[in-house]
Amino acid sequence: MADILDILDIEHPGASEITRDSIIHGDKVKKKYVTTKAVRRPEGMHREVFALLYNDNKDLPPLLPTDTGKAYKQTKAKLGMRKVRKWVWAPFTNPARKDNAVFHHWKRASDEAKEYPFAQFNKQVSIPSYSESEYNQYLKSEDWSQAETDHLIDLCQRFDLRFIVIHDRWDKAAFRDRSVEDLKERYYNICSILSKVKTNPWSNTVTMVNGEKRIYHYDAEHERKRKEQLKRLFDRTQEQIDEEQMLLTELKKIEARKRERDRKTQDLQKLISRADSGNSTTNNQANVTNEAAMPTNTVSNIVRRHDRKLHKKKLATQQRPVRTVETVTVEWSGIKFPEARGTGVWLRSQRMKLPPGVGQRKTKAIEQELRLMNIDIAPTPTEAICKHFNELRSDLALALDLKNALASCEFELQALRHQYEALNPGKTLSIPPSICNTNADGEAKPLGEIIDVVGSPGALNSTI
Amino acid sequence: MSGPNGMLYGGDEIGALVFDPGHHSLRVGYAQEDTPKADIPAVIGVGPATHIPEAEEKVPDGNVTQSNTKKDELRYYIDVTELHVPRPGMEVQTYMKDGQVENWDLFEKMLDYCYSKVIRSPSEHHPALFTEAVWTTRPAREKLAELLFEKYQAPAFFLVKNAVLAAFANGKSTALVVDAGASQTSAVPVIDGYALVSAAVRSPVGGDHLVAQAKHMLNNMHIQMLPIYSIQSKEVIRERERARYTLKTLPAGLTHTWQQYMLKRQYEDFVHCVAHVSETAYDDRSAASVPGLHYEFPGGYHQDFGPERFKLSECLFEQSLGAPHLVCAAAGACDADARAALWGAVVASGGGACATGWLERLAKELAGRAPSAHRLKVTAPPAPAERRFAAWIGGSILASIGSFQQMWISSQEYDEGGKGQLERKCP
Repeated sequence: MADILDILDIEHPGASEITRDSIIHGDKVKKKYVTTKAVRRPEGMHREVFALLYNDNKDLPPLLPTDTGKAYKQTKAKLGMRKVRKWVWAPFTNPARKDNAVFHHWKRASDEAKEYPFAQFNKQVSIPSYSESEYNQYLKSEDWSQAETDHLIDLCQRFDLRFIVIHDRWDKAAFRDRSVEDLKERYYNICSILSKVKTNPWSNTVTMVNGEKRIYHYDAEHERKRKEQLKRLFDRTQEQIDEEQMLLTELKKIEARKRERDRKTQDLQKLISRADSGNSTTNNQANVTNEAAMPTNTVSNIVRRHDRKLHKKKLATQQRPVRTVETVTVEWSGIKFPEARGTGVWLRSQRMKLPPGVGQRKTKAIEQELRLMNIDIAPTPTEAICKHFNELRSDLALALDLKNALASCEFELQALRHQYEALNPGKTLSIPPSICNTNADGEAKPLGEIIDVVGSPGALNSTI
Repeated sequence: MSGPNGMLYGGDEIGALVFDPGHHSLRVGYAQEDTPKADIPAVIGVGPATHIPEAEEKVPDGNVTQSNTKKDELRYYIDVTELHVPRPGMEVQTYMKDGQVENWDLFEKMLDYCYSKVIRSPSEHHPALFTEAVWTTRPAREKLAELLFEKYQAPAFFLVKNAVLAAFANGKSTALVVDAGASQTSAVPVIDGYALVSAAVRSPVGGDHLVAQAKHMLNNMHIQMLPIYSIQSKEVIRERERARYTLKTLPAGLTHTWQQYMLKRQYEDFVHCVAHVSETAYDDRSAASVPGLHYEFPGGYHQDFGPERFKLSECLFEQSLGAPHLVCAAAGACDADARAALWGAVVASGGGACATGWLERLAKELAGRAPSAHRLKVTAPPAPAERRFAAWIGGSILASIGSFQQMWISSQEYDEGGKGQLERKCP
């Protein structure tokens, strides 16, 4: 600007001499902030809108986003202030090497010479050593010559106890071929002998536990067996693998079926014992426990036999659509009325209330039975009535459950009979009358036969 | 070398060179680089020195190495720019046989060429790492060490099995390396960086076999493959039309070996472009369903190749010679404890593994054969160049690792211990 004024010969009023002050504070002199009177914000205009229209300089807001902040100026990078650190192609020696070979690499000229950092990775397995006399004294073996042992120890050192590699590089021309286990056995044997007789500091086979030496014992026989197994596992043919897979799935199925049956017999047991305690006749008791013990045996026997047969059949032929035995779920029957009540005063009729575990349907059925017997659904709760009424209802519930169980067993039986006839056309299955019972009074039947009903599907299946 | 404790990613480069001699080509370059500096055909043209093309007389130091010891001098023509020129009396010879260097004089010429034209730096400055086939014999290894130390004055030398390096290039120290090379295919188990020599298997089915098959196939199809150097010009013709071309006038006395070599390069190109490995065993119907691939021969004849592409490469997967069988045999020969790790890391390397679909086919065939108890994983670098140069790249990695620098056989050690220590130091 001053140049133009000079050219045009115009006197510049503010042209001042260069002073020390103007050089140092030159920037600050130029900065003159024109402070204008603040424009009042019109009534009703939002502050933000007003701020957009009027800033301090009363300029219009910029059309383009501009970046005039001083942020970047302040944090200006100081480039070219320092010299680049030099790299040199410098010789180095590696303490991990036994010869003092000199190689070259790039390093910072400023870095002081220190030990080659990678030398710290030079780790070696410590291998026991022995003198000739020691060998003769302790390590003699009819199976191993000294030359062979030396070769083994040498290879162990060279390949850091990688026995698979040692086995691969074993001098088969000079010595007879040995398995990895043989090599390991010999090596660990030497280790343990030497660690007993010498106080050598090799540590990989000796560990100190509570100040006492523990020597690693290599169980060669076990390892050989393990490897034999492993080899057999790998050498299976595809058919063998498929067969095994098939057998496994079969096994799973069988187990599931077995569990199912076990549960059924258990349920029956419960039923029996429950019914039995309901009868509470002492002479029956012994009988029933006998019977109860026996059927489980027979049932499980049958199940097992049946499984085996089923198995063979499946191996022989493609799986036939054998109808699986439906589950006859017999819930625990009878009703247990809670004895102890909470503290405080309570009505005796509370004792006659059915516990919440009894389902809606059961409640309905019991009420129905009560109505049939002409008994009031809610009798006067005297002490005696309460007790008897509860007992009655519990027995009713049990009777209902037994009836249901019988019905489902009956259904099963019929279904299996149909299946049998379908599979063997022309034949009819004659069901012994002791099993076949359609008059539906479960309580009258001997208990053992109820169990037989459940057990029979298996027996039937096995005869198919 | 930098970083907080002077170790940058465990690497420390000492200006080492990596040589990877193969049947098809020799790879050479600096360690720590990701690709070799040069990939030179593993053949050398040997011709009489009397005939020197005029263009080269002006540049006596051109790409021609001269041996000036005898009167009847021979000239050695190395690398494609020299080798692919028709010269009367130039025989093509190879120095490789069965995965090993056999003709050491020729190999020396090759190394001379590498140092003077590729590396352009004196051999005394660079430690040299060589790759070798797993079955390389002891005399061959010792001869190489002798050559490097005594003739080339290398400061240090090391030999590594190429299968180990291929495993390293894939970031694995335990792997079952399938190397599909030019002259043979091999499967070598590598455990913790050591190749299991006794479990290695190989078959003579390789890239060269595929090329021979291609030649056979084209002969049967009555398609004439002309070497490219013989064509002066050709006309544009329609598909399957008779080729119309004019032949170049060539100098008399072109040797049979050279012509065969040039033709082989042509067949290699054909195989490279056309051959395609089908994912499952060859089947007419599925092969026919894949669109054909167009190929134009040097003479100008061109046509689509459909099912032939797949049929051609079937020879690589023959029953007892193909790579899948080799892998199974190699794994089966290993200790049972090592097998799981090996099946989990089958690494493919070599030029043959670059063929389209080769890796997928291998993976599929192995899936059918591998014991189901193992997790099978077949890997290879995604880029074809990385597959071809896997062994070289592994060498490049190994030679630039800081903790490897203690392994070199230095010239001092060689002077003291002689070449006998090679067996111990380079397992």
